[in-house]
Amino acid sequence: MKEEKTIVCRCEDLTLKDIRELIKKGFRTMDEIKRISRCGMGPCQGRTCRQILMQEVARAQGKSIDEIQITTFRPPTKNVKLGVLAGGAEEYEEDC
Amino acid sequence: MLEKTGVATQKDLEKVMPSKERLKKGPVAVIECFQRIPCNPCYTSCKVGAIKELVEDINDIPELDEDKCIGCGLCVSKCPGLAIFIVDETYSKDEAKIMLPYEFLPLPEEGQIVDALNREGKVVGKARVLQVKNGKYEDKTPVISIAVPKRLSMEVRNIRLGD
Amino acid sequence: MKKPEIAVIGGGPAGLSAAIAASELGARVTLIDRNSRLGGQLVKQTHMFFGSEKQYASIRGIDIAAILEETMNNYDVEVMLDATVLGYYQEDGVITIEQNDKYIKLKPQRTIVATGASEKVLAFPNNDLPGIYGAGAVQTLMNQYGVIPGNDVLMVGAGNIGLIVSYQLRQAGVNVKAIIDAAPRIGGYLVHASKVRRLGIPIYTSTTVKEAVGDQTLEKVVLWKLDESWNPIEGTEWEVDVDVMCISVGLSPLAELLWQAGCEMKYIPELGGHVPLRDELTLETTVKGLYVAGDVAGVEEASSAMVEGRLAGLSAAKSLGYDKDGIYEALKKDCLKQLNDLRSGPVGEKIRQGLKKLAG
Repeated sequence: MKEEKTIVCRCEDLTLKDIRELIKKGFRTMDEIKRISRCGMGPCQGRTCRQILMQEVARAQGKSIDEIQITTFRPPTKNVKLGVLAGGAEEYEEDC
Repeated sequence: MLEKTGVATQKDLEKVMPSKERLKKGPVAVIECFQRIPCNPCYTSCKVGAIKELVEDINDIPELDEDKCIGCGLCVSKCPGLAIFIVDETYSKDEAKIMLPYEFLPLPEEGQIVDALNREGKVVGKARVLQVKNGKYEDKTPVISIAVPKRLSMEVRNIRLGD
Repeated sequence: MKKPEIAVIGGGPAGLSAAIAASELGARVTLIDRNSRLGGQLVKQTHMFFGSEKQYASIRGIDIAAILEETMNNYDVEVMLDATVLGYYQEDGVITIEQNDKYIKLKPQRTIVATGASEKVLAFPNNDLPGIYGAGAVQTLMNQYGVIPGNDVLMVGAGNIGLIVSYQLRQAGVNVKAIIDAAPRIGGYLVHASKVRRLGIPIYTSTTVKEAVGDQTLEKVVLWKLDESWNPIEGTEWEVDVDVMCISVGLSPLAELLWQAGCEMKYIPELGGHVPLRDELTLETTVKGLYVAGDVAGVEEASSAMVEGRLAGLSAAKSLGYDKDGIYEALKKDCLKQLNDLRSGPVGEKIRQGLKKLAG
């Protein structure tokens, strides 16, 4: 397969070749790959690439997908303008 | 076979084919539903109780009581799988009438000659449009009645309008 | 901070049903949805649903959305539209929301997560060429926005979504050249398969994508056959000239809020991916007061999602002490029976296996 033409993470522009090379270099867990490459850290927050990355990592570790550790999920679930967060939370009392 | 191709085989069809005697008596439903799926609108839409109640298991394959079925076609637009056809081999000496669901625009007009397609979408002859039912009951699943040569009564399951 | 009794996250078939059921028992519900209209994926489903009358069989998805919304409007449900839940904070059960550039915090007593699922993608060369879409995305484009994706389509995946979207593409006047599936058998309902075959669309099983080809946009797709062990067979390649390829190879639960909440999760391929452990009778997860329903709990048909939504809504309301005239038990039993009916046949086999694994 033309690994350099197969996109895994669209947001961060990572190909299957990139991922497999990282695995070869010794980055074996999803977390390690995420930290070194930003795979899954773009606007879609891994919704596109996670499944493919899971398969690659599981294969590299010789495990099935249910045995591998996946990355931590943290808020926010989508891109938010800093101004929205800086504006602070709207707090209002229970009305009834 | 059906689960690889999506096209019912002769063997599949034999299971749902009305008897020769029944076909001689007039319009009757042919329910081309071969897979156990959770579904029962054919039963609930039948006003004469010709479809065995799917009470034990909603996944059961509908069973037609061909003596009770009057070929009214009320089930045709209610089957979510668009799998029910009404076949009337008594329509005329040479022609059979088929009622089928057709959810495409433009709709044919009565009297229009259209291509008659089989279960693989291949043209097998011509059909004459007899009636287009597209009322509130059909609810956007129009039911088209067509006349086809009698030998095609169990072949034709779709139509295509010319350009 | 606002403190609704029950927050329902997601206004699709599961979420709407949950909001209705919880309201029926008398609870106060806030329903949060990121879109500007309710209904989730129902609003683009122009085909009739299967199931029985209780799950609106024979009615089109888009009409079911309207019925559910109308039913919900009989109750005093607070609806937040264009509102995305950004986080669930397990320390204190606070959920944060972005709505119209405002940041809002809620602290519900109970939360029902009904966020649905997202489309899976495939890895093949040139999978980023314009013209390659998720099948669900194409359905949204066509049925919600009235835009066709192109002229000639290859559908990858013969599950229900692949079959239904192929049919709808044809209804929109788009040529579907073929439907392929890697599996040796058609995964979707055979009546849907027969429907597209009658239109002249071929279905090829044991077939997959070798690569996409195109200069600026998709021009053709190279396919090849798979052997019994799902390995591609050299020399079986053939090409299909298309400007659109729709990928319909399954959905995976949109479960990030459940992970954030600290729910115990398990990877169950039969249910689409990582799903939360839960009490089957109430749909409460391992996090107390947090319930799940619909595709996020395991990818299934919308009919089941509606029943699960009802069950979760009833359970959450009951746990707050709402049980108008003691009808909870009977209503719960009815939901469990419906779920059992929907899953008991051969097409429910995968779901049954998945649920068994999850419980075991």
